[in-house]
Amino acid sequence: MIGYIARRLGTSIVVLLGVSVFIFALLHAIYPSPAIDVLGPRANTVLIQAWNKQNGFDDPWIVQYLRYMGHLLQGNFGYSYKLNQSVASLISGVWARSAWLSGVSLVLSVVIAIPLGVYQAIRRNTVGDYAATSLAFVLYAMPVFFLGLILIQVFALDLGWFSFEGSQSTSLLAIIGDWHAMTLPVATLTLISIALFSRYIRSSSMDVLAQDYIKVARAKGLPERLVLLRHLLRNACLPMVTLIGLSIPQLLAGNLITETLFNYRGLGLLFYTALQDVDYNVLLAYTLIGAALTIIGNLVADIALSVADPRIRLA
Amino acid sequence: MRKKRIIGGLVLVAASVTALAACSSSSSGASGNSGSSSIGLAGQFGSVPAQSSGTEKSGTITVAEPPSSAPTWILPLPTGASASVYNDYMFDYEMYRPLYWLVNGVEPTESPSLSLANDPTWSNGDKTVSFTLKSNYKWSDGKPITSQDVLFWWYMMKAAIKESPADWAYYTPGLGVPDQVTSITAPNASTVTMQLNKAVNPTWFWQNEIGDIQPMPSQVWDVDSTGGTPVTDWATNPADATKIYDYLVTQTKSLSTYATNPLWQVVNGPYKLTSFTASTGAFTMVPNPAYGGPHAKVESNYQEVPFQSDTAEFNAVKAGSVDLGYVPLADVPQVKGLTSTYNEFGYPDFGWAYIAYNFKDTTGDFNNIIDKLYIRQALAHLEDEQGYIKAFFDGAGGQAYGPVPAIPKSPYAPANALSDPYPFSTADAAALLKANGWTVVPNGVDTCAKPGTGAGECGAGIPAGTKLEWNIIYGTNPAVLGEQTQDWASEAKTVGIDMNLSSSNFDYMIANYNDPSAPKMINKWAMQDFGGFTDSTYPTTFGVFNSTGSFNVGGYTDPTADTYITASISSPQIAAVTAEAQYLTQEQPALFQPLPDNAFGTAAILVWKKTVSGPPASFESLTQPIWEPELWFLTK
Repeated sequence: MIGYIARRLGTSIVVLLGVSVFIFALLHAIYPSPAIDVLGPRANTVLIQAWNKQNGFDDPWIVQYLRYMGHLLQGNFGYSYKLNQSVASLISGVWARSAWLSGVSLVLSVVIAIPLGVYQAIRRNTVGDYAATSLAFVLYAMPVFFLGLILIQVFALDLGWFSFEGSQSTSLLAIIGDWHAMTLPVATLTLISIALFSRYIRSSSMDVLAQDYIKVARAKGLPERLVLLRHLLRNACLPMVTLIGLSIPQLLAGNLITETLFNYRGLGLLFYTALQDVDYNVLLAYTLIGAALTIIGNLVADIALSVADPRIRLA
Repeated sequence: MRKKRIIGGLVLVAASVTALAACSSSSSGASGNSGSSSIGLAGQFGSVPAQSSGTEKSGTITVAEPPSSAPTWILPLPTGASASVYNDYMFDYEMYRPLYWLVNGVEPTESPSLSLANDPTWSNGDKTVSFTLKSNYKWSDGKPITSQDVLFWWYMMKAAIKESPADWAYYTPGLGVPDQVTSITAPNASTVTMQLNKAVNPTWFWQNEIGDIQPMPSQVWDVDSTGGTPVTDWATNPADATKIYDYLVTQTKSLSTYATNPLWQVVNGPYKLTSFTASTGAFTMVPNPAYGGPHAKVESNYQEVPFQSDTAEFNAVKAGSVDLGYVPLADVPQVKGLTSTYNEFGYPDFGWAYIAYNFKDTTGDFNNIIDKLYIRQALAHLEDEQGYIKAFFDGAGGQAYGPVPAIPKSPYAPANALSDPYPFSTADAAALLKANGWTVVPNGVDTCAKPGTGAGECGAGIPAGTKLEWNIIYGTNPAVLGEQTQDWASEAKTVGIDMNLSSSNFDYMIANYNDPSAPKMINKWAMQDFGGFTDSTYPTTFGVFNSTGSFNVGGYTDPTADTYITASISSPQIAAVTAEAQYLTQEQPALFQPLPDNAFGTAAILVWKKTVSGPPASFESLTQPIWEPELWFLTK
């Protein structure tokens, strides 16, 4: 097991380095220098060249990359010239907000989607299954933005039950307690995820129900409740391990559209704003963090899957 | 004061300044008109009601803070990176007032009562200028604003541009402040005198140069460390001035301490900062009891609520959660649903929107094509301004034909700003091309059939067979840029002009499609639509259409235009800038576009709750976009 984890970890580090080179080179090709952002649009070539030289932006890109990575290893993500703050401070100020929003949504999605999917599998082709399937398709096909707008219009503007925007507090504790503001953004993310997860669970459960060990369990007289809990659920949930692992980046990277729609300042919104402002270092840091989290999520999923399913680590 | 600034992308990139006629309840020219939208020169949407005569009540007035507008710079000496309408006018000017307030409602004229100084006086053949500070304005610690405070700003500015020319956003090497000033003195506690190296246009120098000066509290800020002893030789010792400037910049970069740093608690504006959230840009200000300018009898706190998207901001308006906000242009049809709660008003900002031509792009001999006046005239005939206003602005905008529009009303609009010199007509465009030697192929591509420089021939540098085809790049935000450009290209195609359309990001365009700062890209673009400019109060296009202008993006060169533009800043005649605008409107160095209504520095309609009142001009000025919240009060 340790060998397996070590191999996967080594692979992940190589992939991460490759991704970082690719992202840096790509961004460098599009925006070789933030000089105009710093100096203003009236800056002439002489001023731009002087600034580039002073700040190392006239070095070959690979030199710039190595310098950036050197700073990164010391926790220095650079400086946002647009927001006049260090990128690290910007990220540290919002990551927990994103983690809370996405984390709660993920947990709720899983808690609801698993029993729903199992129910649909064991009651397949019934009215309940058809209704849940139809609803799942509608939600899955619906853009997050559109779903959020509908929820805002109905539950915030028309009925006035909830706030039209997420919590504006800077305190995580206050955000956690602010259900009036957080219900709609959480609901938006949750409903979309339930649609996805429940389809996976339903499909997986139907596969498992057709397996011989389920028939054996039933044949030997095991109560149906135990068949479902002990044999069906554990095996049917294996795909969810991968899905949840892949959701880890979303936990911290936030949900760009939901945060934008609900004016909820998180990592996604930070990225959105940086994109609009061409905030060079924020874009770079966010993209690298997203890549790192994706790789870590994959790694965690693989490891978790190997724990849950011994056949994998033996392979 | 109000400066020429680039507009485009989602918002104005930089700002402009203000003025309001005293605490007068009378409205400027815009208010009082009917509330319906109009198409044409009027440009007005909705109207501003008269000031409420009821009881004034205090409270907190909440104002929407648009996306990407969080303040990041408190020192009243904005850098090239920090200068914006939001940072300067929504935030900094509430605490640190400029010498002159040069907006009055929708009009770019001075509001004397809001100016810190009396109008300047000139002597020595327009080479010496003096102004005196008014006695009614004081610092919040009770001390008077003195000429030393102006000089302190001056030497901080000199220290800034010595470190980098970009450290003061409005610095133009060799021009105006400070390079044309050979000496600055303070003959007494309230008078400042400047000697210039040559005669200048007094209106230009007053409104566009010294109007920007924001006195600094020299007796509080003359330190180079926290708790340090005063450094008093800043006027004579540049090294010490630099130390002070560096310290102030260090404090400015500490955003989280804005509301607590004692430095920033000494203000001369109507408000003092009491809370500031660096991560969001949210802030609250309370009235400065020592403010000496006009203000509401019962003052309210001023609070900005940040929004990260126009959609979120509009949801807040629909929910009635902000007292003042805006309705993005795309949502103007929904304004009717707000009328029970909000007043609404729209008016174009003083400036111009345009599609820039690249006179240096040699691709397909484009440089030789576009330098022909008849080509530019034909292109102007293909623009359906009225159609754009109706279709793309939902009626919230006005026509404009040159760098100085007829609206907002100003003393500088030329005669040809009043009626379109090149009205929409594809037939006229085709006729111009045919008359100058082109074979016109509707929905195809025109070619030069008669090369040469004689009458009826294509003109110099255009060989036979040259095609009328080139690329055009438009900004992705706001959407109206693309909509107008696409329609224009579509009309052009009907007379055989083939424009290859593509879109790009505003910041990318500014950085890469500007011939003076990105010469390697000269042949990468023929035309571009990134937005436009807000006009300076004195609306010369110096810097944009003069041959050596730092933002002459397409390298337009015309000796006659240079003469006019130079006259605008150096002749004593105020009419010089009108002549400049008249000539440029005629010559069409770019395709001038209609102006969408503006609020909060973006294409939008202004809305404010019916429970908020004040002098009409104080709401109208938000379209320019200048904030005067000290004049507002609550009625409930």
